[in-house]
Amino acid sequence: MDNLTGDTQVFQSDDAAAGRACVVFTAQRQDVLPGVYEACHRDAILEVLASLEQEGWVLSQRRLFDGAAPEAAVALDTGFTHSHDIAGIFEAPNLDAALEGTIRLEQAGWARRFATEWMIGLREFAPIMGKGEHHDHGWAFIALWEWNDPWCEATPAERDAYDLECDEAFQGDLDHSVNITGRSRLDVGHHWHHIGYWEIPDPDTADSAIRGHERVADFKFTTSRHIVGRVRPLSQLIQPA
Amino acid sequence: MTSTSNDTLRDSTDSARHLWMHYARPRPHWYTLDETRQKGLNVTWHEIRSQAKQQGAVFQGRFHIRGQHDFETVDIWRFPSSQHAYDHWQALVNAGYSEYFAFSNSLGLDTGETA
Repeated sequence: MDNLTGDTQVFQSDDAAAGRACVVFTAQRQDVLPGVYEACHRDAILEVLASLEQEGWVLSQRRLFDGAAPEAAVALDTGFTHSHDIAGIFEAPNLDAALEGTIRLEQAGWARRFATEWMIGLREFAPIMGKGEHHDHGWAFIALWEWNDPWCEATPAERDAYDLECDEAFQGDLDHSVNITGRSRLDVGHHWHHIGYWEIPDPDTADSAIRGHERVADFKFTTSRHIVGRVRPLSQLIQPA
Repeated sequence: MTSTSNDTLRDSTDSARHLWMHYARPRPHWYTLDETRQKGLNVTWHEIRSQAKQQGAVFQGRFHIRGQHDFETVDIWRFPSSQHAYDHWQALVNAGYSEYFAFSNSLGLDTGETA
């Protein structure tokens, strides 16, 4: 695996996760029509999730910080503030398993319930714990981003200086007790270049942390999309209406 | 198309069941390069595409789509695996391609259905 940029003070290559893939999704519930999505479809999805877990998938990002955390799949409940209703990230053993897993989920019944954008990529940087453990891991923040034309035109020295500035902001995130599951790249299968997943105590923390990124002009070189949601068991989020 | 010729068509791609679609358009600073530099880069990237084909990829063409899309062209590839597609893409990234061309990529898996 190659990283799109080098290690920084905050982010270090995750050699132990070489080749491991990420599966990101944003999904919108479809109209409820009689008989289209029922308990049997939910059960079939849960069976696929159980198989994927047996095959080495990680279905809860909490497990990247705490290997003893529950294995059951979780996702973000995002409908209160985004056009999609749920979002989330899984890890798969490799790219091909990732792609095939999305198809298995869709065919088990997921496609009957959700219109979904699946984004598949590869892990680059290792998870990092924020300073000061917070005990409510009930909220999460997902950032999708890509470098813009000015970044592509910039010199290596300008990019290095930019990375150092961004590192200040990421250090600020850690000071806010944000846990960051490293970084994965999505560019092989999307227009987004990267994704990051943060555990946050509440949405205000995301707002405060992003102000820190604005202060260091993080967004002069990137276009990004941010998603905030309440972390809930996926089994609840896929209940039939 | 008869079933026989259809089967023949499928035989040529059965070992390359993974789709990779690559949408691209030049970034503004591509146009600031002189013609020699542009040609040199294009030769390098073309060699990378040739290497992918030698390693089992099937290139099904580059299509102009600017008239009804945010991007200028789309390349349609089939690869033996998503990892092969990634390896090809990473070779292009290493050769500076993504710095001169904005892109959007998609991975897919052959459904096995015939026309």
